[in-house]
Amino acid sequence: MDQINVLIVEDTPAQSQKLSKMLQDNSYHVVGIATTFKEALAIFYSDQKIDVAIIDIFLHGVPDGIALAETINTVPNASKPFVFLTSSTDRSIFQRAKLTQPFSYLMKPFNELEILYAIEMAVEKFYAQQNVFLSQEENTVISDDYLFIKKGKSLKKVLLLDIIYIEVEDKYCNIITEKEKFVILISLTKISKLLNPEIFTKTHRNYIANTQKIDEIVPADNLIILSGKHRIPLSEKHKSIIKKLHTLR
Amino acid sequence: MVNRPSMKVKFFFCILLFTSLCPVFVHSQQDKGLSVFESVLLQETKNFNTHPDFKKAVQFLVEEEWDSTLVYSARQLTVNTNNSELNNYCHFFRGFSFRRKGILKEATAELTKISKDFSFYNNVKIMLGSIAFERSEFQKALQYYKIIDSIKAKNLKGLKRPNIEENIGSCYLHLKQYDIADEYFQRSISLHETNKDTLELIGTYGNIAASYYEQYLDDKAIPYFQKAYMLSQKIDDYTLKLEAASNMAIVEKNRNNFQQAFQYKDEVIKYKDILNDRDRSWEIGKLEKEIAVNKKQEEVNALAAENKLKIAERNGLIYLTTILVLILGAVGYFYKEKVKTNKIITAQKESLDALNAMKDKLFSVVSHDLRSSVYALKTSNTELAENLEAKNLDALDTLLNTNSAIVNGAYNLLDNLLHWALLQTEQSYFEMETMHLFFIVEQTAYNYKPLMLDKKIQFENKVSKDVKVVADQESLKIILRNLLDNAIKFSNPEGVITIYTENGAENYCNLIVEDTGLGMSEATQQELMKDSLSVVKKENKHIIGTGLGMQLCKSMIQKNQGIFSIESELGKGTKMIVSLRKTDVDGSN
Repeated sequence: MDQINVLIVEDTPAQSQKLSKMLQDNSYHVVGIATTFKEALAIFYSDQKIDVAIIDIFLHGVPDGIALAETINTVPNASKPFVFLTSSTDRSIFQRAKLTQPFSYLMKPFNELEILYAIEMAVEKFYAQQNVFLSQEENTVISDDYLFIKKGKSLKKVLLLDIIYIEVEDKYCNIITEKEKFVILISLTKISKLLNPEIFTKTHRNYIANTQKIDEIVPADNLIILSGKHRIPLSEKHKSIIKKLHTLR
Repeated sequence: MVNRPSMKVKFFFCILLFTSLCPVFVHSQQDKGLSVFESVLLQETKNFNTHPDFKKAVQFLVEEEWDSTLVYSARQLTVNTNNSELNNYCHFFRGFSFRRKGILKEATAELTKISKDFSFYNNVKIMLGSIAFERSEFQKALQYYKIIDSIKAKNLKGLKRPNIEENIGSCYLHLKQYDIADEYFQRSISLHETNKDTLELIGTYGNIAASYYEQYLDDKAIPYFQKAYMLSQKIDDYTLKLEAASNMAIVEKNRNNFQQAFQYKDEVIKYKDILNDRDRSWEIGKLEKEIAVNKKQEEVNALAAENKLKIAERNGLIYLTTILVLILGAVGYFYKEKVKTNKIITAQKESLDALNAMKDKLFSVVSHDLRSSVYALKTSNTELAENLEAKNLDALDTLLNTNSAIVNGAYNLLDNLLHWALLQTEQSYFEMETMHLFFIVEQTAYNYKPLMLDKKIQFENKVSKDVKVVADQESLKIILRNLLDNAIKFSNPEGVITIYTENGAENYCNLIVEDTGLGMSEATQQELMKDSLSVVKKENKHIIGTGLGMQLCKSMIQKNQGIFSIESELGKGTKMIVSLRKTDVDGSN
């Protein structure tokens, strides 16, 4: 599991420092702290992958934060979840900020719990999978590239392509990557719906395999051997995937 | 003597005309005689008044408008052919009119068309006779007159027997049968005398005299002239007097008695003057009358003008009154409006004054609180510095904690003040959405953890993670902050504060903040629930507060469509209950 990359856009150093510390304490990775609109855009379009942006609405007295959010939103594939920070409760500013859907905000001053909650809400809303982190049944949001998993107070992410296979047990899913193995809370229907079917395919009632990680298929033994010598069963029902795999290769 | 006959003829003719027309047909004579024939005529023709043309013909006849009479009677004749009586009248009128116009032939023709049963047939005969006389057909005239004379009846419809006798006499005179003429004249005179008709008598004398005189029978004529003159002296009729006198003057002149002729002439002149005077006086009278009429007219005009003026004045008054009434109405209306507005303004002013007073009080209390806080911080900082110098680290820690508590309190107060102001001006962002109550409680309580730890208060958030309510996040946090703050403030050390939910009324979730602290009396509860910002006298004087927090809570709860209530008992603890709406769908509680 990797840390979530956060971009902080905040013009007051004391506040950005405090925020940065709070995030690092909860094992988030602060990619950068921008104090202006330009700086923020520079970091946003740099090589560093950003997962969430925390944006102060007022930068040096002007609501550049909203402009930044609007700019980020205009690029469909590059857009990321963001949280507005504001000490202003001014109605008109909020009306404008609200147009930058999905809209999540945090009122200053805030405490640790509130910023963590706000980030989680922003991610949920952004990937349109609400009531995940707050519920007791689930803890994972799936995006195109990552699984965002709530672990303790913090959020973690796993690159989907790193997953070798997923083993489903009731409400739980065992995620097996090359480096680690962990359990997430997510329903099978949801995971099978949200994962890219080109890459992830069901081999068994309880198994979903990353087709890119398949080393060998042994139909006689109803077995699939994945990279890292992981063996998972292949049920009769799902044998048709062999053909699909061939065509894929 | 050469001019004598011509003069005589001229003279007589005039007299004869006068006598032969007027006494018989009473027109142009005095009113007395005139009315006899006219009244009879009007009475007799009454029955035919339904014919408008006939009625007009009669009218014009009486008025002696001969041409108009002819026109209307002719018109009536063309219309009506059946009623012989009506036709008779019409022919009669026409004959009459023609005769008066001097067209004797036409008159004779019209009169002969009249049938014998006509009620004025006698008059017709007389008229025919007169026409014949005028045309010097004396025999014919005599015939007509004789027929009338032979009628013994007394009533001859305006005809006077003596006049007829006189006319017969004139005829005989012209036929040179003087004896018979004389006889008729005498009968006429005697009839007049028995009637005591002096005026007629004078006329008759004149006529007889003229008749004789024309026949050059001066001896017979002159006594009659003299008789006429003598009689005329006894009466007041100046016309007759004038005639008689002028006749005498002519007679005397012809007899070459110039002296006497002059005397008569003088008399004639005298009478003429008198008559002229009378005419003049009549004219003057007429003039005076005219003047009087004019005067009256002027008066009438003046009155009319005055009236006009009065009307104008009255109209002016009416307009003025109307305008005044309107103005009065408008003034009244505006005055009423003004009074109304004033009332509203007064009410508003009162409420504004009250609000302003409240704000002033709030202001003073808040500033007092802040001042105390800052002062406490100031003293604490001095102490801190002293302890730092003495390197008394334990004391430092305590002091820092105290300081942070003081700052916390002040901060909360300021925060409430800000939100209160924002709420009053409707400036803050407000959006109700579904949220997980558990996390909101957690986040809010997080800030109070150190404080509670310091006071050794046991805190528990028993809200289920599934509970969702509809509220505005920021205002819900403010509510919770205040409730928690109060709970901590009024808790004893090592007390317990619990936050949990209960099912409230339908679709409502009760969020309860319970403490085991000081509690409060019924009165205090009621005071807190009042809808006005009352700067509360606290039961615990060392724990100060403005009541602003509670008011803010109540307002915010109201804005979130929630209900606020308090359950408390002195010494045992307090339950602050906030009822909030649950989610309509999936409200899994």
